[in-house]
Amino acid sequence: METVFISKLKPFLDAVAERMDLYVPKKAGDYYVYSKYDPSAEMPAEFNNIRTCTPVKEFLFPLRELAAVFPEAAEPEEVQPFAVLGLKDCDLCSIEILDKVFAEEEFKDPFYVSRRRNMFIISSDCSEPGQSCFCNVFDGKPFAEGGFDLNISQVRDGFVIEVGSEKGKDFIEKHSRLFTKVPALLLTERDENRAKTQNQLDQNNAELRFDTPIKEIVQNSQDSDVFDVEAKTCVECQACTRICPTCHCFYLYDTSQKDYFAKMKMWDSCMRMAYAEVAGGANPNKMLGDRLKHRLMHKFVYFLDRYGINMCVGCGRCVDAEAGDIDLRQILKKLSEELKGKDKKKAKVAK
Amino acid sequence: MSQNPYQPLNGEIVDIIDESPTIKTFVVVPEGPFKFETGQFVELTLPGVGEAPFTPSSSPADTEKMEITIMKAGRVTALLHECKKGQKVGVRGPFGNGYPIDYFAGKEVYIVGGGVGLAPIRSLFLTLVDRIKDFKSVVCRFGAKTPDDYIYKNTLFGSWQKIAGVDMKLTVDEANGKWKDNVGVVTTILESGDVNIRNAVAVVCGPPIMMKFATLKLLEFGFGDEQIYLSMEKNMSCGIGKCGHCMIGKYYVCQEGPVFTYDQIKDYPDIWA
Repeated sequence: METVFISKLKPFLDAVAERMDLYVPKKAGDYYVYSKYDPSAEMPAEFNNIRTCTPVKEFLFPLRELAAVFPEAAEPEEVQPFAVLGLKDCDLCSIEILDKVFAEEEFKDPFYVSRRRNMFIISSDCSEPGQSCFCNVFDGKPFAEGGFDLNISQVRDGFVIEVGSEKGKDFIEKHSRLFTKVPALLLTERDENRAKTQNQLDQNNAELRFDTPIKEIVQNSQDSDVFDVEAKTCVECQACTRICPTCHCFYLYDTSQKDYFAKMKMWDSCMRMAYAEVAGGANPNKMLGDRLKHRLMHKFVYFLDRYGINMCVGCGRCVDAEAGDIDLRQILKKLSEELKGKDKKKAKVAK
Repeated sequence: MSQNPYQPLNGEIVDIIDESPTIKTFVVVPEGPFKFETGQFVELTLPGVGEAPFTPSSSPADTEKMEITIMKAGRVTALLHECKKGQKVGVRGPFGNGYPIDYFAGKEVYIVGGGVGLAPIRSLFLTLVDRIKDFKSVVCRFGAKTPDDYIYKNTLFGSWQKIAGVDMKLTVDEANGKWKDNVGVVTTILESGDVNIRNAVAVVCGPPIMMKFATLKLLEFGFGDEQIYLSMEKNMSCGIGKCGHCMIGKYYVCQEGPVFTYDQIKDYPDIWA
């Protein structure tokens, strides 16, 4: 794909911000969060070496939004083009997952679709994977190979920008005076950086390699005690599902305003007690362990059956946000080990 | 902007019929055309309060109005029960898959229903009766807690029993003085000779516990998993396969259901919960 070079980010970001609202990562404590780009600020943007704390779904499927107004229907506000800087490969994979649900089915979510259409994606390479990052388990990479408009890789003297879409190409062409050709040496450096980070990820997660597909591990563990045992420290804060970039459950609720009624859409969580409860009181997931099991079944079995991909990108946000002791990686490991034990037993019996 | 699937169609409750101490039928007239197939469901909104999923109990052939039979069970249904004629409502849908009526043609249709589960069954029954000659027979086995708890008493205890081609038996868990029919749960009036299983389909709708035991009984009689049609109750909310609440395994009840064959869902955990 076409690449260009720029020595400083600011002129590039200013050019983006001239055309649309731009959201950039800003350090808040140990993590990055998004804020609107302010060209006049002392430190207008930072190059995030790792994914942000908040999930990209916030831009496409906000925590709460107006879904309908009645009895007089109202035209929804038009979404203006906007850009997001610093998305990582895991974020782009999560968008691919959300697209399946909200933009590619027979019924489309018009709010998601119009935000998605107006989103300009400027992704960037990871240089320092976090302790909780395990994207490589799901064939994720510390750099994006698709799904972006532009991708940025930091090199010694500046930044290599790769074009990933017509929209991206158009932008580069319109601002060609900002960019120069990429010296071949810098492309080599970029590739070396990428390999180094990939290596580090592989090392960090050396113990997380499974011989059996994860779908089979989870599917064959439905009667396992691991879910009940692991769920013991859950405090039902629902942080894991809210911070998850792929979790997309929501509920609809009705409100009454002065001269109209409104239907609102708001994030929900399958870890919430009454999530699956019906009016008659029946609830298949009353127990915490059952809810945790459903969460994993949805991510690794049901979603895969329905859409052909996993509903987890291995970003590790749920691990970071966990208030108790639940760690998706450890659960998968325990289930895998338990199954191996079972298989050995079976083999013995067969003998 | 493409069509907004969250936007309800405005409607009005034009009549309310008391069916049992806890169940009422609401006659709803939507503003504008509204078509559904028997077994599909709609989301009924009480403005400013909330919405809940219901399978209409009227025949789809009646395109002027729609009847929705509702048991007082939760917050929204309790407030619906307090509504008067003239109440404005919202309707979204119809959603999901109903009963495959054309596939039922030429077969014996064995309908097992209980309690408020007779609501979707009434819609199915009226649809079948409309073209009764297309079916080998319509065999109904219905149950309720007490005679008072039966819904659609006027027709159920009267005209429906006299329709040629319909074989109907009723039971109650607890009888009162006037009750002449069977006493016992609905499985006590199911007999293997009720229909010729080789050319029959079974339809089950009712409280989860009844659906479970009726299904087990049908399997015992020799019904194949794919011959048993279940109308599943889950927490359907968005209606368009997105919000996640009504999942049974990989299925969204609001998309692939609410009518499933037992074969489709039998391997998933807790389908009867």
